[in-house]
Amino acid sequence: MSLPLTQSAAAIEVKGVYAAYQRQPVLEDIHLSLPAGRWTAIVGPNGAGKSTLFHVLTGSMRPLRGHVNAFGQAIEHHRKAGRIAYMAQREAIEWDFPISVWETVMSARYGHMRQDAWWRRLLPVRWHEPRHRQAVEKALDDVNMLAFADRPIGALSGGQKKRVLLARALAQEASILLLDEPLAGVDPPSEQLILEVLKREREAGRTIVMVTHDMPGARRYVDHVVLINRFIRGEGTPDEMLSDSKLAELAVSAIEQSAHDVTLAGNPALASK
Amino acid sequence: MLQTLDAWSSALVAGLIAALMVLVNLLPNSISDAFQYAFMQRALLTSMMVGAICGMLSCYVVLKRWSLLGDAISHAVLPGVAIAYLLGLPFFIGAFVTGALTSLGIGAIERHTRIKSDAAMGIMFTGAFALGIVLISKIASSTHLMHILFGNVLGVQQSALLLTLVASLVAILVVWLAFRPLMLYAFDPTQAQALGFNTGVIHYGLILLLTLTIVASLETVGIILVVAMLITPGATAHLLTDRFKTMLLISIGVGIGSAVIGLWLSFAFDVASGGTIVLVATSCFFMALLFSPKHGVLMRFWRHRKLGNAN
Repeated sequence: MSLPLTQSAAAIEVKGVYAAYQRQPVLEDIHLSLPAGRWTAIVGPNGAGKSTLFHVLTGSMRPLRGHVNAFGQAIEHHRKAGRIAYMAQREAIEWDFPISVWETVMSARYGHMRQDAWWRRLLPVRWHEPRHRQAVEKALDDVNMLAFADRPIGALSGGQKKRVLLARALAQEASILLLDEPLAGVDPPSEQLILEVLKREREAGRTIVMVTHDMPGARRYVDHVVLINRFIRGEGTPDEMLSDSKLAELAVSAIEQSAHDVTLAGNPALASK
Repeated sequence: MLQTLDAWSSALVAGLIAALMVLVNLLPNSISDAFQYAFMQRALLTSMMVGAICGMLSCYVVLKRWSLLGDAISHAVLPGVAIAYLLGLPFFIGAFVTGALTSLGIGAIERHTRIKSDAAMGIMFTGAFALGIVLISKIASSTHLMHILFGNVLGVQQSALLLTLVASLVAILVVWLAFRPLMLYAFDPTQAQALGFNTGVIHYGLILLLTLTIVASLETVGIILVVAMLITPGATAHLLTDRFKTMLLISIGVGIGSAVIGLWLSFAFDVASGGTIVLVATSCFFMALLFSPKHGVLMRFWRHRKLGNAN
Protein backbone atom coordinates (compact mmCIF):
# COMPACT_ATOMS: atom_id res chain seq x y z
CA MET A 1 0.00 0.00 0.00
CA SER A 2 2.41 2.63 1.15
CA LEU A 3 5.49 1.29 -0.60
CA PRO A 4 7.77 4.19 -1.46
CA LEU A 5 8.19 5.28 -5.05
CA THR A 6 11.91 5.90 -4.86
CA GLN A 7 13.87 2.74 -4.23
CA SER A 8 17.25 4.41 -4.68
CA ALA A 9 17.95 5.27 -1.03
CA ALA A 10 18.45 2.40 1.42
CA ALA A 11 15.33 1.27 3.26
CA ILE A 12 17.16 1.59 6.55
CA GLU A 13 20.35 3.53 7.06
CA VAL A 14 21.85 3.47 10.55
CA LYS A 15 24.65 6.02 10.92
CA GLY A 16 27.04 5.93 13.85
CA VAL A 17 24.52 4.97 16.52
CA TYR A 18 25.58 4.76 20.16
CA ALA A 19 23.12 3.70 22.84
CA ALA A 20 23.42 3.03 26.58
CA TYR A 21 21.33 1.91 29.55
CA GLN A 22 22.24 3.69 32.78
CA ARG A 23 25.64 4.69 31.37
CA GLN A 24 26.39 1.08 30.43
CA PRO A 25 27.11 1.14 26.68
CA VAL A 26 24.98 -1.31 24.74
CA LEU A 27 25.58 -0.25 21.17
CA GLU A 28 28.68 1.48 19.83
CA ASP A 29 29.35 2.91 16.42
CA ILE A 30 26.64 0.98 14.58
CA HIS A 31 26.58 1.56 10.83
CA LEU A 32 24.15 -0.38 8.67
CA SER A 33 22.76 0.12 5.22
CA LEU A 34 19.90 -2.21 4.30
CA PRO A 35 18.54 -1.88 0.77
CA ALA A 36 14.79 -2.07 0.16
CA GLY A 37 13.38 -5.54 -0.35
CA ARG A 38 16.11 -7.31 1.56
CA TRP A 39 15.53 -9.82 4.34
CA THR A 40 18.12 -9.33 7.07
CA ALA A 41 18.72 -11.42 10.16
CA ILE A 42 20.38 -9.83 13.17
CA VAL A 43 22.31 -12.48 15.09
CA GLY A 44 24.12 -12.07 18.38
CA PRO A 45 24.42 -13.47 21.90
CA ASN A 46 22.06 -12.45 24.70
CA GLY A 47 22.63 -8.89 25.82
CA ALA A 48 24.35 -8.02 22.55
CA GLY A 49 22.10 -5.02 21.98
CA LYS A 50 19.79 -6.50 19.35
CA SER A 51 16.58 -5.45 21.08
CA THR A 52 18.13 -2.08 21.88
CA LEU A 53 18.81 -1.58 18.19
CA PHE A 54 15.11 -2.27 17.57
CA HIS A 55 14.12 0.19 20.29
CA VAL A 56 16.17 2.81 18.48
CA LEU A 57 14.51 1.89 15.18
CA THR A 58 10.98 2.05 16.63
CA GLY A 59 11.65 5.32 18.42
CA SER A 60 11.05 4.03 21.96
CA MET A 61 14.72 4.80 22.70
CA ARG A 62 16.73 7.79 21.62
CA PRO A 63 20.34 7.01 20.68
CA LEU A 64 23.10 8.91 22.49
CA ARG A 65 24.70 9.70 19.17
CA GLY A 66 24.04 8.99 15.51
CA HIS A 67 20.78 8.77 13.66
CA VAL A 68 18.62 6.50 11.55
CA ASN A 69 17.17 7.23 8.12
CA ALA A 70 14.57 5.34 6.15
CA PHE A 71 14.35 5.84 2.40
CA GLY A 72 16.58 8.90 2.69
CA GLN A 73 14.49 10.67 5.34
CA ALA A 74 14.48 10.71 9.15
CA ILE A 75 12.83 7.50 10.34
CA GLU A 76 10.33 9.41 12.55
CA HIS A 77 8.69 10.67 9.40
CA HIS A 78 8.01 7.13 8.20
CA ARG A 79 6.93 5.95 11.60
CA LYS A 80 4.25 8.65 11.68
CA ALA A 81 3.12 7.59 8.19
CA GLY A 82 2.74 3.99 9.39
CA ARG A 83 5.42 2.60 7.11
CA ILE A 84 7.28 0.77 9.86
CA ALA A 85 5.73 -2.26 11.52
CA TYR A 86 7.16 -3.72 14.69
CA MET A 87 6.63 -7.15 16.17
CA ALA A 88 7.55 -7.25 19.84
CA GLN A 89 8.76 -10.26 21.77
CA ARG A 90 5.95 -12.20 23.36
CA GLU A 91 7.04 -11.28 26.88
CA ALA A 92 6.64 -7.56 26.15
CA ILE A 93 2.85 -7.79 25.99
CA GLU A 94 0.17 -7.83 28.67
CA TRP A 95 -1.71 -11.02 27.73
CA ASP A 96 -4.40 -10.52 30.39
CA PHE A 97 -5.63 -7.43 28.58
CA PRO A 98 -9.32 -7.79 27.64
CA ILE A 99 -8.90 -7.70 23.88
CA SER A 100 -9.74 -10.16 21.10
CA VAL A 101 -7.40 -11.46 18.43
CA TRP A 102 -9.28 -9.39 15.85
CA GLU A 103 -8.97 -6.14 17.82
CA THR A 104 -5.29 -6.82 18.50
CA VAL A 105 -4.56 -7.09 14.79
CA MET A 106 -6.85 -4.14 14.04
CA SER A 107 -4.73 -1.98 16.33
CA ALA A 108 -2.07 -2.05 13.61
CA ARG A 109 -4.45 0.10 11.55
CA TYR A 110 -4.86 2.82 14.18
CA GLY A 111 -2.04 4.81 12.63
CA HIS A 112 -3.64 4.71 9.16
CA MET A 113 -7.04 5.62 10.60
CA ARG A 114 -5.67 9.08 11.36
CA GLN A 115 -5.84 9.69 7.61
CA ASP A 116 -9.56 8.82 7.45
CA ALA A 117 -12.35 11.38 7.41
CA TRP A 118 -12.65 13.00 10.85
CA TRP A 119 -16.20 11.84 11.51
CA ARG A 120 -15.28 8.19 10.93
CA ARG A 121 -12.66 8.44 13.63
CA LEU A 122 -15.37 9.07 16.22
CA LEU A 123 -17.17 5.86 15.34
CA PRO A 124 -16.50 2.22 16.17
CA VAL A 125 -14.16 0.40 13.82
CA ARG A 126 -16.93 -1.38 11.93
CA TRP A 127 -18.02 1.96 10.43
CA HIS A 128 -14.53 2.63 9.15
CA GLU A 129 -13.28 2.26 5.61
CA PRO A 130 -13.44 -1.38 4.53
CA ARG A 131 -9.73 -1.41 3.65
CA HIS A 132 -8.86 -1.67 7.34
CA ARG A 133 -11.09 -4.68 7.82
CA GLN A 134 -9.79 -6.31 4.66
CA ALA A 135 -6.17 -5.85 5.75
CA VAL A 136 -6.90 -7.46 9.13
CA GLU A 137 -8.77 -10.33 7.57
CA LYS A 138 -6.00 -11.00 5.07
CA ALA A 139 -3.28 -10.84 7.71
CA LEU A 140 -5.13 -13.26 9.99
CA ASP A 141 -5.75 -15.57 7.06
CA ASP A 142 -2.06 -15.45 6.08
CA VAL A 143 -1.01 -16.78 9.48
CA ASN A 144 -3.92 -19.25 9.66
CA MET A 145 -5.55 -17.54 12.63
CA LEU A 146 -8.78 -16.27 11.09
CA ALA A 147 -10.77 -18.95 12.90
CA PHE A 148 -9.52 -17.56 16.22
CA ALA A 149 -10.49 -13.94 15.48
CA ASP A 150 -13.01 -13.71 18.34
CA ARG A 151 -10.89 -15.39 20.99
CA PRO A 152 -9.40 -13.33 23.78
CA ILE A 153 -5.65 -13.13 23.19
CA GLY A 154 -4.88 -14.56 26.63
CA ALA A 155 -6.48 -17.88 25.63
CA LEU A 156 -3.95 -18.67 22.88
CA SER A 157 -0.97 -21.01 22.92
CA GLY A 158 2.58 -19.70 22.54
CA GLY A 159 2.85 -20.35 18.81
CA GLN A 160 -0.60 -18.84 18.19
CA LYS A 161 0.36 -15.71 20.11
CA LYS A 162 3.41 -15.30 17.90
CA ARG A 163 1.28 -15.72 14.79
CA VAL A 164 -1.16 -13.07 16.00
CA LEU A 165 1.70 -10.65 16.66
CA LEU A 166 2.99 -11.36 13.16
CA ALA A 167 -0.49 -10.80 11.73
CA ARG A 168 -0.58 -7.47 13.51
CA ALA A 169 2.69 -6.44 11.88
CA LEU A 170 1.41 -7.62 8.46
CA ALA A 171 -1.95 -5.85 8.76
CA GLN A 172 -0.14 -2.54 8.91
CA GLU A 173 0.94 -3.05 5.27
CA ALA A 174 4.18 -1.31 6.10
CA SER A 175 7.23 -1.13 3.86
CA ILE A 176 9.56 -2.12 6.68
CA LEU A 177 8.95 -5.03 9.05
CA LEU A 178 10.97 -5.10 12.27
CA LEU A 179 10.56 -8.46 13.98
CA ASP A 180 12.06 -9.13 17.40
CA GLU A 181 12.60 -12.90 17.63
CA PRO A 182 9.58 -13.96 15.57
CA LEU A 183 10.70 -17.60 15.81
CA ALA A 184 11.53 -17.91 19.51
CA GLY A 185 9.49 -20.46 21.44
CA VAL A 186 7.48 -21.50 18.40
CA ASP A 187 6.60 -25.08 17.45
CA PRO A 188 8.09 -26.37 14.14
CA PRO A 189 4.87 -26.08 12.05
CA SER A 190 4.35 -22.46 13.20
CA GLU A 191 8.00 -21.72 12.46
CA GLN A 192 7.67 -23.04 8.94
CA LEU A 193 4.47 -21.05 8.43
CA ILE A 194 6.01 -17.82 9.73
CA LEU A 195 9.08 -18.20 7.49
CA GLU A 196 6.92 -18.86 4.42
CA VAL A 197 4.72 -15.85 5.17
CA LEU A 198 7.77 -13.64 5.51
CA LYS A 199 9.19 -14.99 2.27
CA ARG A 200 6.02 -13.90 0.46
CA GLU A 201 6.18 -10.49 2.08
CA ARG A 202 9.78 -10.08 0.96
CA GLU A 203 8.78 -11.04 -2.57
CA ALA A 204 6.09 -8.35 -2.40
CA GLY A 205 8.91 -5.85 -1.95
CA ARG A 206 8.92 -5.33 1.80
CA THR A 207 12.11 -4.89 3.75
CA ILE A 208 12.39 -7.30 6.67
CA VAL A 209 14.75 -7.08 9.61
CA MET A 210 14.51 -9.78 12.23
CA VAL A 211 16.39 -10.74 15.35
CA THR A 212 16.79 -14.49 15.53
CA HIS A 213 18.58 -17.35 17.26
CA ASP A 214 17.26 -19.82 14.72
CA MET A 215 20.35 -20.53 12.59
CA PRO A 216 18.89 -23.26 10.32
CA GLY A 217 15.84 -21.11 9.54
CA ALA A 218 17.97 -18.06 8.87
CA ARG A 219 20.37 -20.04 6.68
CA ARG A 220 17.54 -21.27 4.47
CA TYR A 221 15.54 -18.08 4.11
CA VAL A 222 17.30 -14.77 4.72
CA ASP A 223 19.36 -12.74 2.22
CA HIS A 224 21.71 -11.06 4.59
CA VAL A 225 23.08 -11.61 8.09
CA VAL A 226 24.44 -9.01 10.52
CA LEU A 227 26.44 -10.28 13.47
CA ILE A 228 26.25 -7.94 16.40
CA ASN A 229 27.66 -7.73 19.89
CA ARG A 230 27.75 -4.13 21.02
CA PHE A 231 29.69 -3.45 17.78
CA ILE A 232 28.90 -4.85 14.34
CA ARG A 233 30.97 -8.05 14.23
CA GLY A 234 30.39 -8.97 10.62
CA GLU A 235 28.00 -8.66 7.73
CA GLY A 236 27.39 -10.80 4.68
CA THR A 237 25.52 -13.72 3.17
CA PRO A 238 24.09 -16.38 5.49
CA ASP A 239 26.64 -18.91 4.30
CA GLU A 240 29.57 -16.65 5.15
CA MET A 241 28.26 -15.31 8.43
CA LEU A 242 26.62 -18.40 9.89
CA SER A 243 29.65 -20.63 9.37
CA ASP A 244 30.80 -22.42 12.51
CA SER A 245 34.00 -20.42 12.71
CA LYS A 246 32.20 -17.08 12.46
CA LEU A 247 29.66 -18.02 15.12
CA ALA A 248 32.43 -19.31 17.40
CA GLU A 249 34.20 -15.96 16.96
CA LEU A 250 31.00 -14.17 17.95
CA ALA A 251 30.61 -16.35 21.05
CA VAL A 252 34.22 -15.65 22.06
CA SER A 253 33.60 -11.94 21.60
CA ALA A 254 30.69 -12.24 23.99
CA ILE A 255 32.82 -13.91 26.65
CA GLU A 256 35.59 -11.35 26.23
CA GLN A 257 33.05 -8.60 26.36
CA SER A 258 31.60 -9.70 29.66
CA ALA A 259 35.06 -10.33 31.12
CA HIS A 260 36.00 -6.82 30.04
CA ASP A 261 32.85 -5.37 31.62
CA VAL A 262 33.56 -7.17 34.89
CA THR A 263 37.07 -5.71 34.94
CA LEU A 264 35.66 -2.26 34.29
CA ALA A 265 33.00 -2.58 36.96
CA GLY A 266 35.49 -3.84 39.52
CA ASN A 267 38.03 -1.13 38.82
CA PRO A 268 36.78 2.46 38.97
CA ALA A 269 40.06 3.75 37.59
CA LEU A 270 39.55 1.77 34.38
CA ALA A 271 35.85 2.57 34.20
CA SER A 272 36.47 6.31 34.19
CA LYS A 273 38.64 6.06 31.07
CA MET B 1 -22.13 37.63 31.80
CA LEU B 2 -21.25 35.66 34.92
CA GLN B 3 -24.81 35.94 36.13
CA THR B 4 -26.26 34.50 32.97
CA LEU B 5 -23.72 31.66 33.20
CA ASP B 6 -24.84 31.08 36.75
CA ALA B 7 -28.50 31.10 35.75
CA TRP B 8 -27.83 28.72 32.89
CA SER B 9 -25.90 26.29 35.05
CA SER B 10 -28.58 26.31 37.75
CA ALA B 11 -31.19 25.60 35.09
CA LEU B 12 -29.04 22.77 33.70
CA VAL B 13 -28.62 21.16 37.11
CA ALA B 14 -32.33 21.57 37.85
CA GLY B 15 -33.14 19.94 34.51
CA LEU B 16 -30.80 17.02 35.13
CA ILE B 17 -32.22 16.48 38.59
CA ALA B 18 -35.78 16.61 37.23
CA ALA B 19 -34.90 13.99 34.59
CA LEU B 20 -33.27 11.83 37.22
CA MET B 21 -36.31 12.12 39.49
CA VAL B 22 -38.57 10.83 36.73
CA LEU B 23 -36.54 7.60 36.85
CA VAL B 24 -36.33 7.54 40.64
CA ASN B 25 -40.09 7.93 40.98
CA LEU B 26 -40.56 4.74 38.96
CA LEU B 27 -39.07 2.88 41.92
CA PRO B 28 -41.23 1.71 44.85
CA ASN B 29 -42.06 4.46 47.35
CA SER B 30 -40.05 2.86 50.12
CA ILE B 31 -36.93 3.55 48.07
CA SER B 32 -37.84 6.75 46.25
CA ASP B 33 -38.97 8.49 49.46
CA ALA B 34 -35.35 9.04 50.43
CA PHE B 35 -34.82 11.11 47.30
CA GLN B 36 -37.60 13.62 47.92
CA TYR B 37 -35.17 15.90 49.75
CA ALA B 38 -33.30 18.45 47.62
CA PHE B 39 -29.96 17.60 49.27
CA MET B 40 -30.46 13.91 48.45
CA GLN B 41 -31.24 14.75 44.84
CA ARG B 42 -28.07 16.79 44.51
CA ALA B 43 -26.13 14.03 46.25
CA LEU B 44 -27.60 11.44 43.89
CA LEU B 45 -26.64 13.39 40.76
CA THR B 46 -23.13 14.13 42.01
CA SER B 47 -22.36 10.62 43.16
CA MET B 48 -23.71 9.09 39.93
CA MET B 49 -21.41 11.30 37.88
CA VAL B 50 -18.48 10.50 40.15
CA GLY B 51 -19.30 6.81 39.92
CA ALA B 52 -19.39 7.02 36.14
CA ILE B 53 -16.06 8.78 35.60
CA CYS B 54 -14.27 6.89 38.35
CA GLY B 55 -15.57 3.66 36.81
CA MET B 56 -14.39 4.73 33.38
CA LEU B 57 -10.91 5.75 34.53
CA SER B 58 -10.55 2.70 36.77
CA CYS B 59 -10.29 0.47 33.68
CA TYR B 60 -7.11 2.26 32.68
CA VAL B 61 -5.87 2.35 36.26
CA VAL B 62 -6.33 -1.40 36.69
CA LEU B 63 -4.93 -2.41 33.29
CA LYS B 64 -1.95 -0.07 33.52
CA ARG B 65 -1.24 -1.12 37.13
CA TRP B 66 -1.61 2.44 38.29
CA SER B 67 -3.46 1.69 41.54
CA LEU B 68 -0.65 3.12 43.64
CA LEU B 69 -0.40 6.15 41.36
CA GLY B 70 -4.12 6.83 41.85
CA ASP B 71 -3.54 6.55 45.58
CA ALA B 72 -0.60 8.94 45.32
CA ILE B 73 -2.41 11.61 43.31
CA SER B 74 -5.47 11.53 45.54
CA HIS B 75 -3.38 12.12 48.66
CA ALA B 76 -1.32 14.79 46.93
CA VAL B 77 -4.49 16.79 46.33
CA LEU B 78 -4.78 17.71 50.02
CA PRO B 79 -2.10 20.45 50.28
CA GLY B 80 -3.56 22.01 47.14
CA VAL B 81 -6.93 22.34 48.84
CA ALA B 82 -5.30 24.04 51.83
CA ILE B 83 -3.17 26.40 49.74
CA ALA B 84 -6.13 27.35 47.58
CA TYR B 85 -8.06 28.14 50.76
CA LEU B 86 -5.22 30.36 52.00
CA LEU B 87 -5.04 32.21 48.68
CA GLY B 88 -8.80 32.50 48.37
CA LEU B 89 -8.91 30.47 45.16
CA PRO B 90 -11.48 27.80 44.29
CA PHE B 91 -10.27 24.59 45.95
CA PHE B 92 -10.21 22.54 42.76
CA ILE B 93 -7.54 24.73 41.17
CA GLY B 94 -5.13 24.11 44.04
CA ALA B 95 -6.06 20.43 44.17
CA PHE B 96 -5.44 20.00 40.47
CA VAL B 97 -2.08 21.79 40.58
CA THR B 98 -0.58 19.83 43.50
CA GLY B 99 -2.00 16.55 42.19
CA ALA B 100 -0.44 17.11 38.78
CA LEU B 101 2.86 18.39 40.23
CA THR B 102 3.19 15.31 42.42
CA SER B 103 2.64 12.93 39.53
CA LEU B 104 5.25 14.81 37.48
CA GLY B 105 7.61 14.69 40.48
CA ILE B 106 7.14 10.93 40.74
CA GLY B 107 7.93 10.54 37.06
CA ALA B 108 11.04 12.69 37.36
CA ILE B 109 12.43 10.79 40.37
CA GLU B 110 11.73 7.50 38.66
CA ARG B 111 13.46 8.51 35.45
CA HIS B 112 16.48 10.36 36.75
CA THR B 113 17.46 8.46 39.88
CA ARG B 114 17.87 4.84 40.91
CA ILE B 115 14.79 5.03 43.16
CA LYS B 116 12.08 2.69 41.88
CA SER B 117 8.59 3.91 41.10
CA ASP B 118 6.76 2.47 44.11
CA ALA B 119 9.22 4.11 46.51
CA ALA B 120 9.05 7.37 44.55
CA MET B 121 5.26 7.34 44.84
CA GLY B 122 5.33 6.47 48.53
CA ILE B 123 7.71 9.31 49.31
CA MET B 124 5.95 11.95 47.26
CA PHE B 125 2.39 11.21 48.30
CA THR B 126 3.02 10.81 52.01
CA GLY B 127 5.08 14.00 51.93
CA ALA B 128 2.37 15.94 50.13
CA PHE B 129 -0.32 14.48 52.37
CA ALA B 130 1.61 15.43 55.51
CA LEU B 131 2.00 18.98 54.22
CA GLY B 132 -1.74 19.09 53.62
CA ILE B 133 -2.54 17.87 57.15
CA VAL B 134 -0.18 20.42 58.70
CA LEU B 135 -1.62 23.30 56.65
CA ILE B 136 -5.21 22.32 57.30
CA SER B 137 -4.67 21.85 61.04
CA LYS B 138 -3.56 25.50 61.10
CA ILE B 139 -6.39 27.00 59.08
CA ALA B 140 -9.53 24.91 59.35
CA SER B 141 -11.54 22.83 61.77
CA SER B 142 -11.19 19.07 61.96
CA THR B 143 -14.74 18.69 60.56
CA HIS B 144 -13.51 20.37 57.41
CA LEU B 145 -10.56 17.98 57.21
CA MET B 146 -12.87 15.01 57.71
CA HIS B 147 -15.05 16.23 54.85
CA ILE B 148 -12.10 16.45 52.48
CA LEU B 149 -10.75 13.08 53.57
CA PHE B 150 -13.99 11.15 53.58
CA GLY B 151 -16.36 13.21 51.51
CA ASN B 152 -19.53 15.09 52.33
CA VAL B 153 -21.88 14.24 49.53
CA LEU B 154 -25.01 15.15 51.48
CA GLY B 155 -23.78 18.71 51.86
CA VAL B 156 -22.57 19.10 48.28
CA GLN B 157 -22.55 22.71 47.07
CA GLN B 158 -23.84 23.93 43.73
CA SER B 159 -20.29 24.90 42.69
CA ALA B 160 -18.93 21.42 43.47
CA LEU B 161 -21.80 19.83 41.58
CA LEU B 162 -21.02 21.95 38.53
CA LEU B 163 -17.32 21.11 38.79
CA THR B 164 -18.17 17.41 38.84
CA LEU B 165 -20.44 17.89 35.84
CA VAL B 166 -17.79 19.71 33.80
CA ALA B 167 -15.09 17.23 34.80
CA SER B 168 -17.32 14.32 33.82
CA LEU B 169 -18.05 15.84 30.42
CA VAL B 170 -14.36 16.54 29.79
CA ALA B 171 -13.33 13.02 30.86
CA ILE B 172 -15.98 11.31 28.76
CA LEU B 173 -15.18 13.47 25.73
CA VAL B 174 -11.44 12.79 25.98
CA VAL B 175 -11.93 9.03 26.37
CA TRP B 176 -14.32 9.00 23.42
CA LEU B 177 -12.11 11.08 21.10
CA ALA B 178 -8.90 9.32 22.07
CA PHE B 179 -10.42 5.89 22.60
CA ARG B 180 -8.09 3.98 20.29
CA PRO B 181 -4.80 5.65 21.23
CA LEU B 182 -5.65 5.27 24.92
CA MET B 183 -6.51 1.61 24.56
CA LEU B 184 -3.41 0.90 22.50
CA TYR B 185 -1.26 2.76 25.02
CA ALA B 186 -2.74 0.73 27.88
CA PHE B 187 -2.32 -2.53 25.96
CA ASP B 188 1.04 -2.12 24.26
CA PRO B 189 2.84 1.24 24.59
CA THR B 190 5.71 0.12 22.37
CA GLN B 191 3.31 -0.57 19.53
CA ALA B 192 1.69 2.84 20.08
CA GLN B 193 5.14 4.39 19.80
CA ALA B 194 5.99 2.38 16.70
CA LEU B 195 2.76 3.55 15.05
CA GLY B 196 3.84 7.15 15.54
CA PHE B 197 1.55 8.08 18.43
CA ASN B 198 3.03 10.55 20.89
CA THR B 199 3.11 8.30 23.95
CA GLY B 200 4.41 11.09 26.17
CA VAL B 201 1.29 13.13 25.47
CA ILE B 202 -0.94 10.08 26.00
CA HIS B 203 0.82 9.19 29.26
CA TYR B 204 0.60 12.63 30.83
CA GLY B 205 -2.85 13.21 29.36
CA LEU B 206 -4.09 10.10 31.13
CA ILE B 207 -2.49 11.22 34.38
CA LEU B 208 -4.11 14.66 34.08
CA LEU B 209 -7.44 12.97 33.42
CA LEU B 210 -6.94 10.87 36.53
CA THR B 211 -6.15 13.98 38.56
CA LEU B 212 -9.24 15.71 37.19
CA THR B 213 -11.39 12.73 38.18
CA ILE B 214 -9.96 12.67 41.68
CA VAL B 215 -10.54 16.40 42.13
CA ALA B 216 -14.10 16.02 40.90
CA SER B 217 -14.70 13.19 43.39
CA LEU B 218 -13.33 15.08 46.36
CA GLU B 219 -16.71 16.21 47.71
CA THR B 220 -18.45 12.92 47.21
CA VAL B 221 -16.33 10.08 48.49
CA GLY B 222 -13.34 12.08 49.72
CA ILE B 223 -9.72 11.62 48.81
CA ILE B 224 -9.13 8.46 50.81
CA LEU B 225 -12.05 6.51 49.40
CA VAL B 226 -11.76 7.78 45.82
CA VAL B 227 -8.85 5.36 45.48
CA ALA B 228 -11.33 2.52 45.94
CA MET B 229 -13.63 3.93 43.26
CA LEU B 230 -10.63 4.19 40.92
CA ILE B 231 -9.70 0.54 41.32
CA THR B 232 -12.66 -1.60 42.37
CA PRO B 233 -15.10 -1.04 39.44
CA GLY B 234 -12.35 -1.70 36.88
CA ALA B 235 -11.12 -4.79 38.71
CA THR B 236 -14.71 -6.08 38.96
CA ALA B 237 -15.25 -5.55 35.23
CA HIS B 238 -11.92 -7.19 34.39
CA LEU B 239 -13.18 -10.38 36.04
CA LEU B 240 -16.37 -10.34 33.99
CA THR B 241 -15.30 -9.78 30.38
CA ASP B 242 -12.59 -10.22 27.77
CA ARG B 243 -13.53 -7.14 25.74
CA PHE B 244 -12.23 -3.69 26.54
CA LYS B 245 -15.38 -1.84 25.53
CA THR B 246 -17.57 -4.17 27.59
CA MET B 247 -15.17 -3.73 30.46
CA LEU B 248 -15.57 0.05 30.25
CA LEU B 249 -19.37 -0.25 30.24
CA ILE B 250 -19.51 -2.75 33.12
CA SER B 251 -17.08 -0.66 35.10
CA ILE B 252 -19.11 2.52 34.58
CA GLY B 253 -22.22 0.53 35.55
CA VAL B 254 -20.60 -0.73 38.75
CA GLY B 255 -19.49 2.82 39.56
CA ILE B 256 -22.94 4.33 39.05
CA GLY B 257 -24.72 1.39 40.66
CA SER B 258 -22.63 1.46 43.81
CA ALA B 259 -23.06 5.23 44.04
CA VAL B 260 -26.86 4.96 43.89
CA ILE B 261 -27.24 1.93 46.13
CA GLY B 262 -24.60 3.16 48.56
CA LEU B 263 -26.22 6.55 48.84
CA TRP B 264 -29.62 5.03 49.53
CA LEU B 265 -28.23 2.58 52.11
CA SER B 266 -26.35 5.36 53.88
CA PHE B 267 -29.60 7.33 54.12
CA ALA B 268 -31.66 4.37 55.23
CA PHE B 269 -29.21 3.28 57.94
CA ASP B 270 -27.89 6.74 58.74
CA VAL B 271 -24.22 5.90 58.15
CA ALA B 272 -21.37 7.66 56.28
CA SER B 273 -22.26 7.84 52.59
CA GLY B 274 -18.70 7.81 51.14
CA GLY B 275 -17.85 4.65 53.01
CA THR B 276 -21.14 2.96 52.11
CA ILE B 277 -20.66 3.68 48.41
CA VAL B 278 -17.21 2.08 48.53
CA LEU B 279 -18.54 -0.92 50.48
CA VAL B 280 -21.18 -1.56 47.82
CA ALA B 281 -18.48 -1.45 45.13
CA THR B 282 -16.34 -3.84 47.18
CA SER B 283 -19.29 -6.24 47.49
CA CYS B 284 -19.71 -6.12 43.71
CA PHE B 285 -16.07 -7.08 43.37
CA PHE B 286 -16.37 -10.07 45.67
CA MET B 287 -19.55 -11.21 43.92
CA ALA B 288 -17.70 -11.08 40.60
CA LEU B 289 -14.72 -12.85 42.13
CA LEU B 290 -16.94 -15.71 43.25
CA PHE B 291 -19.52 -15.94 40.50
CA SER B 292 -17.89 -14.64 37.29
CA PRO B 293 -18.65 -17.21 34.58
CA LYS B 294 -15.14 -17.10 33.12
CA HIS B 295 -12.72 -15.88 35.74
CA GLY B 296 -14.67 -16.57 38.94
CA VAL B 297 -13.34 -18.75 41.74
CA LEU B 298 -16.41 -21.01 41.90
CA MET B 299 -16.46 -21.69 38.17
CA ARG B 300 -12.78 -22.43 38.15
CA PHE B 301 -13.24 -24.80 41.07
CA TRP B 302 -16.16 -26.43 39.24
CA ARG B 303 -14.15 -26.86 36.02
CA HIS B 304 -11.23 -28.36 37.91
CA ARG B 305 -13.52 -30.85 39.61
CA LYS B 306 -15.10 -31.81 36.32
CA LEU B 307 -11.66 -32.33 34.81
CA GLY B 308 -10.68 -34.34 37.87
CA ASN B 309 -13.75 -36.57 37.53
CA ALA B 310 -13.09 -37.12 33.85
CA ASN B 311 -9.65 -38.49 34.59
